[in-house]
Amino acid sequence: MPQQLAIIVLVDVGNALATSTLEGNTYLFDNMKLHGSENQGTGELVTAIHGSYWSDGSQASEQVLNWLPYSLGSVPPTVPRGYEADRARQSDEEALAELHDLADRSSAAGADAAGELNRIRRKTGTRLKTTRRTSGRMSGAKILDVTGQVVAEDGTDAHSHPAPVITDIYGEAVDAKIMYPAEYGSPDMVTDGWYWSATVDTSRPGTYAYMMRVQLHKLAQVNGELRWEPVNLTYSSALKISSEPRRNAFTKAGVGPLPIPHTPPGQGA
Amino acid sequence: MKSQVNIIAVVDVIGALSIRGLHDGNLCMVDDGPFGSSHQGTADLVTIVKPGQVVSWTALAVDLQTPVEIKNISFAPSDGHAAHGRDHAGQAHRDQGPGMGAPGVHGQGAHGQGAHHEQDAAGEKLDLDVWTGVVPHWMTPGVPYQYRIEFQMYEGAHSVMRVETPALMCQ
Amino acid sequence: MTTKAKPRETAAKRPISITAVVDAVGALAAGDTQGHLYMYDTNRAGGSTGFGTEELRTRARRGDVLLWNCLALECEAYVSIENILIDPEVCEPVRKVYPGTDVSYWTGTVKKTGPEPVAYRIAFKLGTRDEPITATLSSSLVGQ
Repeated sequence: MPQQLAIIVLVDVGNALATSTLEGNTYLFDNMKLHGSENQGTGELVTAIHGSYWSDGSQASEQVLNWLPYSLGSVPPTVPRGYEADRARQSDEEALAELHDLADRSSAAGADAAGELNRIRRKTGTRLKTTRRTSGRMSGAKILDVTGQVVAEDGTDAHSHPAPVITDIYGEAVDAKIMYPAEYGSPDMVTDGWYWSATVDTSRPGTYAYMMRVQLHKLAQVNGELRWEPVNLTYSSALKISSEPRRNAFTKAGVGPLPIPHTPPGQGA
Repeated sequence: MKSQVNIIAVVDVIGALSIRGLHDGNLCMVDDGPFGSSHQGTADLVTIVKPGQVVSWTALAVDLQTPVEIKNISFAPSDGHAAHGRDHAGQAHRDQGPGMGAPGVHGQGAHGQGAHHEQDAAGEKLDLDVWTGVVPHWMTPGVPYQYRIEFQMYEGAHSVMRVETPALMCQ
Repeated sequence: MTTKAKPRETAAKRPISITAVVDAVGALAAGDTQGHLYMYDTNRAGGSTGFGTEELRTRARRGDVLLWNCLALECEAYVSIENILIDPEVCEPVRKVYPGTDVSYWTGTVKKTGPEPVAYRIAFKLGTRDEPITATLSSSLVGQ
């Protein structure tokens, strides 16, 4: 089984939204540095895919590529899946407990019930209205700041940007049938269950460009409600395919006898 | 008779690199041989083979994301002072220093006197290697022939580790 | 339907996030971070430089809140920041966790900056290795 090849797409979402481009705001990595990938950690990554073939010319290993988009400076992808929803529930539970507490105390003279309610309302944060396009991934979630705290409506300036979403992979490498990308669902903990993956045909060496369509989300106030507005941008990268014949590691030629000594162990000089 | 037996070395690369050793379950060897191999799932796997049978070794990373390749497989002759097969691990041996390996891993010197390969670890393209060979007719039945299997995990001063505990044994 | 999206100002209150991308396998195999650490921050527009190198220069001024976190290149590898070695007169970062998780980040407020960049080094915990690996090279905070 081959190594799984991963391409990390790290986006400075705040700056990309501010400048309406992924150029200069995207940093790419892969785990094929030893195979000759170039420009790791920059926007100009060229991913090396090192294929191999048997002596009859057939492809010896299937290479599988995965794309993992991350948001720079946001709550990291290592927090559990569904983190925004979990935090929303936690903050609701905390607020409910406080409301019970407030009800108990409100009979007491001088309690500032209105002030307390307002404080609790701020603490419960701002739940997102989801549009049809963004429902599913982010419905029911609240806005978090970059430290994972739920933020109130007037505190959204420090909100954490949701991870970018790749919505399509296309271009030369796909048109030339060098790779066959598709979106998959999986129980993967770090990508929220969806990722783009592609199998690669390594039989035609060369460098092939491809495009990613990337959806970012901008927090916007629409008719007094907060929404994540999708912003679609594109970014290009490239695959450098090479392929070499497999070889027998013992003989450097065809299959031969194993290099086992003629004298059994323990019976030598 | 089954014509080929596959030996798979499953390596927890991050675990092995973290403790700089293949012990503590970081290496687990299994085969699919038909003759009742013993110590399956350990680094002490004894694969039962028959003359003429093809044996194939493959390394696999537990997490599938990290690179691990077989760097060398060699059978020590009875005097234990020279290695058969390809061995260009001299560089790695020096870098590794003493005491880096797992318990049961021998220090440098016993092996590693084979020809140097001109390329360094990164340029070796170990992924092209196919570790396959035929069981020779001269093996003494019932005697385990221990072999050293060496793994390349990524590259760097601590990237090569080996064990000498697994064996082939003729029925 | 007439909805008009009104973008909100976002620059003011957001901390400057500094993210260390660590090739955990590479750093463990080498025993150091050189060539296996890529530093970024969210203040490129403010003048930070050295993106993608081990020597990020983050433009920061007194009162700025900094937040350090890290990311493993191999998504199954564990990485965390064990310590940030910086002059305590400039910043005293403390370790915190994202609420309800054991995922940590470090944060601190810039107390002062001078004409000279203030170098700092990050110590990382990688994989299951007990001993932290400290970055070979320093990143720095650069005043206005």
